[in-house]
Amino acid sequence: MKDTVYIGLIGNPSCGKTTLCNAYTGGNRKEADWLDKTVEKTESIVSYHGHTFKLVDLPGVYSLTAYTAEELISRNYILSDELDVIVNVVDASALERNLYLTLQLIELGKPVVVALNMMDMVEERGMEIDLHRLPEMLGVPVVPVSARKRRGLDVLLHAVAHHIDQLEPVVLVHDHEEQEENSQHMHDHHAEYAMVYSDAIEDKIDVVTDILRQCYPEMKNYRWHALKLLEQDLDITARYPVDLSQVLDCSYEKDIINEKYDFIEEIIGEVLMNKEEKAERTDKVDAVLTHPIWGLPIFLGMMALIFVVTFTVGDWLKVVFMEPVIEGCSAGILRCLLYLHVNEIMISLVVDGIVAGVGTVLSFLPNICILFLALALLEDSGYMARVAYVMDDIMGKLGLPGRAFIPMLLGFGCTVPAVMAARSLEHVRDRRKTILITPFMSCSARLPIYVIFSQMFFAKYAAVVAFSMYVLGIAVALLTAFVLKFFDGKEQKQRALLIELPEYKTPNLHSILIYVWEKMKEYFTRVPIIFVASLIMWVLLNCGPGGLAADMTQSFGAMAGKVLTPVFVPIGLGYWQIVVALISGIAGKEVVVSSCGILFGINNINSQAGMEQMLATLSTVGFGAVNAYALMTFCLLYTPCAATLATIRRAFGSWKWTGQAVLFQLAVAWLVSFVVYHIGLLFV
Amino acid sequence: MKLNDGAVDHTYQVVKVINLDLPVERRLEALGLTEGTEITILNKKKHGAIIVKVRGTRFAIGQNIAAGIWVEEAPVS
Repeated sequence: MKDTVYIGLIGNPSCGKTTLCNAYTGGNRKEADWLDKTVEKTESIVSYHGHTFKLVDLPGVYSLTAYTAEELISRNYILSDELDVIVNVVDASALERNLYLTLQLIELGKPVVVALNMMDMVEERGMEIDLHRLPEMLGVPVVPVSARKRRGLDVLLHAVAHHIDQLEPVVLVHDHEEQEENSQHMHDHHAEYAMVYSDAIEDKIDVVTDILRQCYPEMKNYRWHALKLLEQDLDITARYPVDLSQVLDCSYEKDIINEKYDFIEEIIGEVLMNKEEKAERTDKVDAVLTHPIWGLPIFLGMMALIFVVTFTVGDWLKVVFMEPVIEGCSAGILRCLLYLHVNEIMISLVVDGIVAGVGTVLSFLPNICILFLALALLEDSGYMARVAYVMDDIMGKLGLPGRAFIPMLLGFGCTVPAVMAARSLEHVRDRRKTILITPFMSCSARLPIYVIFSQMFFAKYAAVVAFSMYVLGIAVALLTAFVLKFFDGKEQKQRALLIELPEYKTPNLHSILIYVWEKMKEYFTRVPIIFVASLIMWVLLNCGPGGLAADMTQSFGAMAGKVLTPVFVPIGLGYWQIVVALISGIAGKEVVVSSCGILFGINNINSQAGMEQMLATLSTVGFGAVNAYALMTFCLLYTPCAATLATIRRAFGSWKWTGQAVLFQLAVAWLVSFVVYHIGLLFV
Repeated sequence: MKLNDGAVDHTYQVVKVINLDLPVERRLEALGLTEGTEITILNKKKHGAIIVKVRGTRFAIGQNIAAGIWVEEAPVS
């Protein structure tokens, strides 16, 4: 065995390949279903029983033709001398579709180990896979794994280690007696190759192989090259020019594809049990959920329900659990600092700045937890993919593919993964448009702003007001897309939806919890940003040109806010405290709430007493319900947080585009707030 | 006829894929939708996408793609 074994990980998009890679390396790369996240070839090193394995994560592909760059890159890498073993990650719950790539990989002539992923999902759906028969039919080892639950990982490496020098099929038992007896072909390939074609094609393969043998005596895998020449593969035809006018009357590509699928059907028939039963159930559910008329209202109803639950249950948890804990911590830290006789300024910095800022972020954990729980349910049940179908015609009217709805939907959670999701859209223009409008979808960090201000100013209508923010965000996003559509070229107008709809399943508690936990972690990673923002805010508000400011009105922050205030007067936000809070919101939009608290001198803005105090303070300066609504509108639409900006910059690949996006969003926020504020004034 | 002129719950046989962008055509092929493949329409919207079943897998297909897939009534098996 070589010192370092190179393992190529390859599979269909969203087969769990990246999750498997992360399971080995503990890497923290995010992964979402329906997305092909692996844009580049990435390598990671794993040690196993004293051997070094280098995992090369290849792009997610459906086949290995030379038509797309990704497929060709993967294919050429697999054929290169560097690679030792192919690990084909297969989504067991979509075995039929995944096996097509498997058959192509086996034909490449390198050692293949199949990692049968998502076996837990197969079991859950009540299906069974004959793990004895499958490797017999494929002629390669098949190892069941669960990347999500980290099961079967060592077994897979073990199989890889044993399979490195194994080029012949392990065991190949086919039940092709009838076909073999009737075969007129001169060779019996059934013990040699997993994929045996019809006599017509096998005869052609033999002829081409003979020609290749004469022209290229050094060639390694004649059968595969012969097949590629029969398919008239662009790359191989160019690299090995031979005269095939005698045999090649037409391209055999379609026949070869068909025969592969026929063999897959045979495999499925033998190894997969109980498939039909589950399929019937999915058809029944789909008859309702993707109904031509009811599909859309059902989807919108579900979204509304999710947000009502996020509010009622989330707020209850916040009052009962989070607030007492945070207040307790804050009091404890204060007592500690007083006991240690810490400088008064330091105490203010820690308690008023840092603890208050971070505490505010943490107090919204229940709301966000519930929201992601709901989104995870939609995703895990298999409904998420239907959304693309249900929304296709509506999105089409906006000049966006139905798939663009998914990043927009993710935008309700967090704009960062949403923008990342938009990067997987096929066309640059779709991508740009989607990234431009996705920040208008109200992310969870904006929720705290709505919760506080709608509860303060709209009391029992709080949920309705907050929900209206989501509707407004969607409306602005759709309107923007609609306007942009007029600038589309002809090519852009010919969009195309093509998405797989998985079978429905009872959501798995474990995978939902993992999903929610990952989102929580993502939310927690914002804490350091908030920490720094709180620190900067404290300095801004407590220091002035002459060192420590005696009064907040003498601080740097007040100066900056006062300079910018005139710009915000026409939209009802001409208060320097509000302006400073909005600036601080660029660090993370939830900061607006804590900043408002600090700026108006409120101790705990999230508590009932804090809100009453805040309401009283705001009333004295003439800030009423209409102003609050304008503030919420501005927060909904203006420049996204720093983390999002960094993601957008990466997606666009240019600061110029990013800068234009920021200016555009600021302008839209100002305009819409202006309209909302002045319409609101008419009713007061 | 075009696939999007087909009726729900009917099974058809693919005759030819025409007038589609090459990448889309290749993608359909890789997903197993080739000439002679049986395709069942599970659901469709009036002027929109359709849901089909090809080789055991469900797909949502946009109107533009569906219009490029020519089918005929499948022989009764």
